[in-house]
Amino acid sequence: MPEIVSEDIDREADQRALAALAGWMVRYSPRVALDGIDGLMLETSGCDHLFGGEAAMAAQLSETLDREGIGHAIGLAGTPGAASALARGMGGSGPHMLAEGMEREGLADLCVSALRLSPEAETLLRRFGLTRIGQLYGVDRKALSRRFQSRDMADAVVLRLDQALGLRTEPLDPLRPAPAFSARLPCPEPLGATEGVSDGLRQLTEMLCAQLSTFGQGARAFAFHAFRSDGTVSGVEVSAARPVREPKHILRLFRERIDRIDPGFGIDLLLLEARRTGPMATSAVALSGDLAATDTDLAALSALADRINARLGEGATRIIRPAESHIPERAAREAAFAGDLPDVPAPCVLAGPRPLRLLARPEPLEVLASVPDGPPVRFVWRRVARRVVRADGPERIAPEWWRSLGPVPDAPAGGGMTRKWLSPKLDKRADAALIEASRRRLEEAERGEPVRNLPRARDYYRIEDEAGRRYWVFRRGLYDDGRGGPPEWFVHGLFA
Amino acid sequence: MDPRLVPARDMVRPPGKAGAAGARFPLGLGERGVHELAEAAYGDMPALTGFALAAAKPRKGAILWVTQAAFAAAHGQVLPHGAVGYPAGRAPLLIVRPRKLVEALWTIEEGLRSSAVGLVIADVEGADFTATRRLALASGRHGTPLVLLMPHDREGATAASSRWRIGARPSAPNRFDPHAPGRARWQAVLERSREAPWLAGHVFDLDYDDETLSLTVVSGMAAGQAAPRAPGGADGERAPPRLAAV
Repeated sequence: MPEIVSEDIDREADQRALAALAGWMVRYSPRVALDGIDGLMLETSGCDHLFGGEAAMAAQLSETLDREGIGHAIGLAGTPGAASALARGMGGSGPHMLAEGMEREGLADLCVSALRLSPEAETLLRRFGLTRIGQLYGVDRKALSRRFQSRDMADAVVLRLDQALGLRTEPLDPLRPAPAFSARLPCPEPLGATEGVSDGLRQLTEMLCAQLSTFGQGARAFAFHAFRSDGTVSGVEVSAARPVREPKHILRLFRERIDRIDPGFGIDLLLLEARRTGPMATSAVALSGDLAATDTDLAALSALADRINARLGEGATRIIRPAESHIPERAAREAAFAGDLPDVPAPCVLAGPRPLRLLARPEPLEVLASVPDGPPVRFVWRRVARRVVRADGPERIAPEWWRSLGPVPDAPAGGGMTRKWLSPKLDKRADAALIEASRRRLEEAERGEPVRNLPRARDYYRIEDEAGRRYWVFRRGLYDDGRGGPPEWFVHGLFA
Repeated sequence: MDPRLVPARDMVRPPGKAGAAGARFPLGLGERGVHELAEAAYGDMPALTGFALAAAKPRKGAILWVTQAAFAAAHGQVLPHGAVGYPAGRAPLLIVRPRKLVEALWTIEEGLRSSAVGLVIADVEGADFTATRRLALASGRHGTPLVLLMPHDREGATAASSRWRIGARPSAPNRFDPHAPGRARWQAVLERSREAPWLAGHVFDLDYDDETLSLTVVSGMAAGQAAPRAPGGADGERAPPRLAAV
């Protein structure tokens, strides 16, 4: 048959399409999970009444999928296993429905292949003459597991059967966490313009904030989904540094991003979800600044940070959190602003002076003239030669030895451990490299060569050049500390 | 206090009006309005930072520090452990590093409008007249001061109340160790000022003491060379005070 064209199945594209469909299914239920490589699982508890009952919901779902030309079979039952068996075993697009507690009777006539078993297990069951699910009910479990070659396979069959009958629970693993609060706005006419979308968003925000305030909660993230009538969904998400439920503030955060919603051929459902909810700190604002515990209005600062994050991207606002460490870059660790401010570091009398600006990473400098165990006399930094006029130091900062207790990266591990041992069948070049590496390591151990990659002590100096610029430089390592070559110099900070 | 050091405040009076209430020294820097600090030469950014933190005294709230990403890479990021030695360095710090100038200006304006921010300090590569005018209006309306730290090639029109050009100077002699750097010293040239136009072009030699947190005007430092290694010589031949009440 020359006109038949064959193509390989594209599993990845299928997965992407299934994930996109799952995202769109959120309009029916917030809890959507993938079921194998060709199924979706929706938890309909509490959602069916929005569509006029389970039957109407399944019918609407089926109709929509038909309209999009997606072949499907729908099963609806009290357990995920039973629903899956109905969809896969009954044939036809359904919807097939089974009332709560009727699983045993309803599934009895179905083929065992509906139980989501491995092909081997199915073959074995067929050889035993067990083709219907109902035949499994009466079989003695011990006898069943004795017939299988491996215990795991027998357990899998029993597990799937118990899950379908509701004897064992089967938790859903939803693609996205279900929101604690959400508001939905179906549109009688598909929306085609951005104005309509922002209008709908305003209504939704007010609805959601009313819900949140009923429970005394606020949310730190909001997700807005616009479901298009052609079965696709586009969404935007904003987040806040601390729980909020002020509609004006939330709308302002969305304002920067609402343009990303593309109405396409029309939007027929808008959905706003509140995520990461938590109790709101509803304390009265101090009337006088003197009465306030801190003189920074954290709520107003969080609102500012939210606006900046909405425009510049998540985590754009940073704070520097002091930490207990002598290593300067560890003592001042940067973190995203999360609604609280760190304490101002106390000026430490034990440590030496700290520069006003710290470079992102120490920059190497070339020392032209130096005295042993002293600061450089002349050096080149950023291609300019500078002469040191005055210097102060050193302040020695020893490495934190407890951080380097792990395996040294060059240590004689790996290599030989991952390979079995020399084998003539493997390629000879790899063997030669392995032998060479082992030999070198043994030689180094004999000669007492320095172990590399151990952290080295730093000697910090405060130096001033002729122009009056003041630098914070350090020498990494000492002569003869047995931890690498000669010491290196770096600029780490700049004094005012 | 060293008799040669004069407190930097209450120094500046308009000519011919000896009794008139003159402008106080930093001319509102970090207190109200928009002020520009520009580097005297490449590499003076730490001096600018120090001067801004020493002269500004935010009354309340946090400092919003906006640094364009390229600046942070070239001159580093302000370090709270180093900033505690400055009056403004004890305020909580919120750092934003936008990539583009437009984003930086937007962030500055948002910060000026927030009630939680007491001072905005920004390292930006430049801002034209329109942008500075806009920031000046926002600053005036909400009462939040703004200090712009700008590179050495900053020229041209501005709507800021003043523009200073700051350079590092050899530090003050260290009393405890003649070989060690002492108190930070800077030279600040007031290039233009709306509050005190008669002071344009004036040179202030400043000395900052991080123990008493005081910024003082030093006389004579720039006229003679500060020879820190010869303590005897520098003390004797100081020029007469350059800045006196006229």
